[in-house]
Amino acid sequence: MDVHLKQGSKPVCRLYEFHRRAAFAWFALLMGTSSSCDQPQKPPPNRPSVTVGSGSLTGATLNFAPNDPPGEWHSQARDYANTRYSPLGQINTDNVGKLRIAWTFSDATLGGHEAAPLVVNNTMYLVTPFPDVLYALDVSKAGEPVKWTFKPNPSPIAKGKACCDTVNRGVAYVDGKLIYNLLDDHTVAVDAKTGKQVWRTKMGNVETGETMTMAPFVVGKKVLVGDSGGELGVWGWVAALDVDSGKELWRAYSTGSDKQVLIGNDFKPFYDRMKRKDLGVSTWPAGMWKHGAGSVWAWISYDPQLNLIYYGTSNPSPRVPDQRPGDNLWTSTIFARDADTGMARWAYQTTPHDRWDYDAVNENILMDLPIDGKIRKTLVHFDRNAYAYTIDRVSGEVLRASPFAYQNWSSGFDMKTALPIVNPNKEPHPNVKLMNVCPPDIGGKDWQPAAASPRTGLVYAAIFNICMDVTDHPASYIPSTPYDGMDMHRYPAPGGNLGEFMAWNPATGKKVWSVKETYMTMSGVLATAGDVVFYGTADGWFRAVDARSGKVLWSQRLGSGIIGQPTTYQGPDNRQYIAIYAGVGGAATVRADVTALKPINFPPGGNTLYVFSIDGDSMSSGPGQLTESDGVSATPPEAGNSTEH
Amino acid sequence: MNLRATPCAIGIATLALLSLLCACGHSPREQTATRAMSALPSAAVGAAVPLGQLAGAPYSVAALSTPNPDHANPQAIEQGKQLYIQMNCAGCHAYNGKGNMGPDLTDSEWRYGGLPVQIYQSIFAGRPQGMPSWGAALPPAEIWKLVAYIQSFGGSVAVSDYEHARQGDQPGEQVAPEVQAEAQLGSPPVPLARPSPQTTMPPKSGKPLP
Repeated sequence: MDVHLKQGSKPVCRLYEFHRRAAFAWFALLMGTSSSCDQPQKPPPNRPSVTVGSGSLTGATLNFAPNDPPGEWHSQARDYANTRYSPLGQINTDNVGKLRIAWTFSDATLGGHEAAPLVVNNTMYLVTPFPDVLYALDVSKAGEPVKWTFKPNPSPIAKGKACCDTVNRGVAYVDGKLIYNLLDDHTVAVDAKTGKQVWRTKMGNVETGETMTMAPFVVGKKVLVGDSGGELGVWGWVAALDVDSGKELWRAYSTGSDKQVLIGNDFKPFYDRMKRKDLGVSTWPAGMWKHGAGSVWAWISYDPQLNLIYYGTSNPSPRVPDQRPGDNLWTSTIFARDADTGMARWAYQTTPHDRWDYDAVNENILMDLPIDGKIRKTLVHFDRNAYAYTIDRVSGEVLRASPFAYQNWSSGFDMKTALPIVNPNKEPHPNVKLMNVCPPDIGGKDWQPAAASPRTGLVYAAIFNICMDVTDHPASYIPSTPYDGMDMHRYPAPGGNLGEFMAWNPATGKKVWSVKETYMTMSGVLATAGDVVFYGTADGWFRAVDARSGKVLWSQRLGSGIIGQPTTYQGPDNRQYIAIYAGVGGAATVRADVTALKPINFPPGGNTLYVFSIDGDSMSSGPGQLTESDGVSATPPEAGNSTEH
Repeated sequence: MNLRATPCAIGIATLALLSLLCACGHSPREQTATRAMSALPSAAVGAAVPLGQLAGAPYSVAALSTPNPDHANPQAIEQGKQLYIQMNCAGCHAYNGKGNMGPDLTDSEWRYGGLPVQIYQSIFAGRPQGMPSWGAALPPAEIWKLVAYIQSFGGSVAVSDYEHARQGDQPGEQVAPEVQAEAQLGSPPVPLARPSPQTTMPPKSGKPLP
């Protein structure tokens, strides 16, 4: 457990804080560092690689490479392993109940706000939904003034091609540059200091229906990006660009010949059904792989020891399965690829011949776990098909597979073939209304990433409890239009709740505890060294939960629904802050029936970043006329009043 | 890209699902189109539909008042529905018309106008935020059928309400006496050669369309 703010020491701390704030540059030096507040003010120690002891329920080991500074947040997942775990622990189970709003920022953009705020060198970087504006805020000054704004001016056509709202899943920071994808298929790099564009690479043609929504993922000097458009008949791919120049180094398609998919002699899938040649062509009716999707629109993780990247591909197009008999490889598939060459090492298709739009794009969290008496290098993956997988990330062998959300599309899981046993009564056929299929197209969990804690060894995820009635209408491929055909009506699964937040044991494949939510839970998760985990709901509740017990310790309703990803950072005042966007949209609202279920009290769209601290203390609130000029109060209040606000 | 291809060419990509619509030759659709053609508004009607209000000129009502020749025609509505599904309109605007990727077509909110000819023009010419232009792919008769199907959702604007829709009027509202008086003056608008900030804009007629 990290430092605690003791009740008795707080006024002193605040007094100290006032002086430090009022005379930032030199008074702090004069006062020295012997204040009783030193403990809580100090950044918690960096723990790049933690082997948990008695506190862990699983014995999991996590690698936090590339070991970014503990008080900062440089990439969407924070680390290669996609843990979304912060070593900051000032905010903990004892004091999280005193979390209050410290400051806010509105970006004037409607649409689902799915990106995590980054913090690098006392600057926060935010990206909006279309038109994908990038903001740099100076968090070292009162009022968090905008340092610069970058407007990339993407094509408005993109707005009408994005399946699930005009979202952007965030920015990556590397070598003084911010790299992100525009909805109109351009990847841009922006100078973090000046906000000027460094390079811009056109990755696709938006007029075909292809868009880009995923956050780039940086491995060394390469940045990996992929496309969106599983509902528009795109030809899915992932590509590596040079960080300095933006030049494309390799591109691996998700369908087509082995050459196009970057499958060569090193490809060693664990299961026989994925071992034949050119399966990306032969598992489709003639030519249909060309518009078969397998887009790469969510998360990538990386094992630096194995030098492998891991990611999943989207559903096949069109979404009417009877139009495309076959397994439809390599859609709804998890790939392991060599990070340097892009060549595939193994693949595992989670849902062959995907009939329900289950994808396999959800995050893969890399954890080393003791399983059946042996430590295995694994990846943990909550698939949209409602199965949680623990997979050997060296070989692609499925070690655990069990449902984490309500499902009825399969009657069980065959561990020998690593295939769910499909329930034939839940297979849709054209022009027939099929009732009560669970989960629906958006799955038992969508793209919203889970987090893992080395302290508990558990994984925390916001999941769904939803079913659908579905009618398939055969679809024709018309470029620039949806190649889709799925007509759905969604409603809550048994229990009546649409959302749930859970802790999962990836070593046993069992749920540890969960919190039921009336509305959808489609936010990312933040795990912290304070043993507090954070998530939000589509109706706007932001919550902090005890990582061990699942007890909700703190909640606040924000100005809009939450589908963003919470992050945490340490300010220049040494305080720990928690940041989250409120701005509902995305798949949580794109099809009206989900919100129409319980329209009362469902918030409208929004675009506000909320930043929290204990008691709401920050450089941006307090008595007197705070200014942003130098981060100190221009008219310092009386010392005794500094806590009254 | 084969946006400019005929509906026949477009449909070939998949199975025989367009066979009804697109038997390439003398299809039922073409025959229907030919039969209906005589009653169709001029193909140039779309070009005469202004997207905004007219500056410094009398309001041109002629083009806006173009009725849909297939309005409330059950057969045309059914054919429009088939087109709506087969041309992937439903993929954006939903099978029930309530929208997801694209706007809701069943409500009273119309970015580019909800009069039949304005809906026609949105389909014919496309719109800048991703709505493709179907003018090269679909003959006017087909587009009017799509308009008829969209009108059947009930959210479009009746021809007689063109001005009310533009000015944000809703059924059942009150009108302030000054506004009413101005509308009743009915003085013919004066064309302005050179509008200046001092010039008052021509009054609206306030009269229902002929």
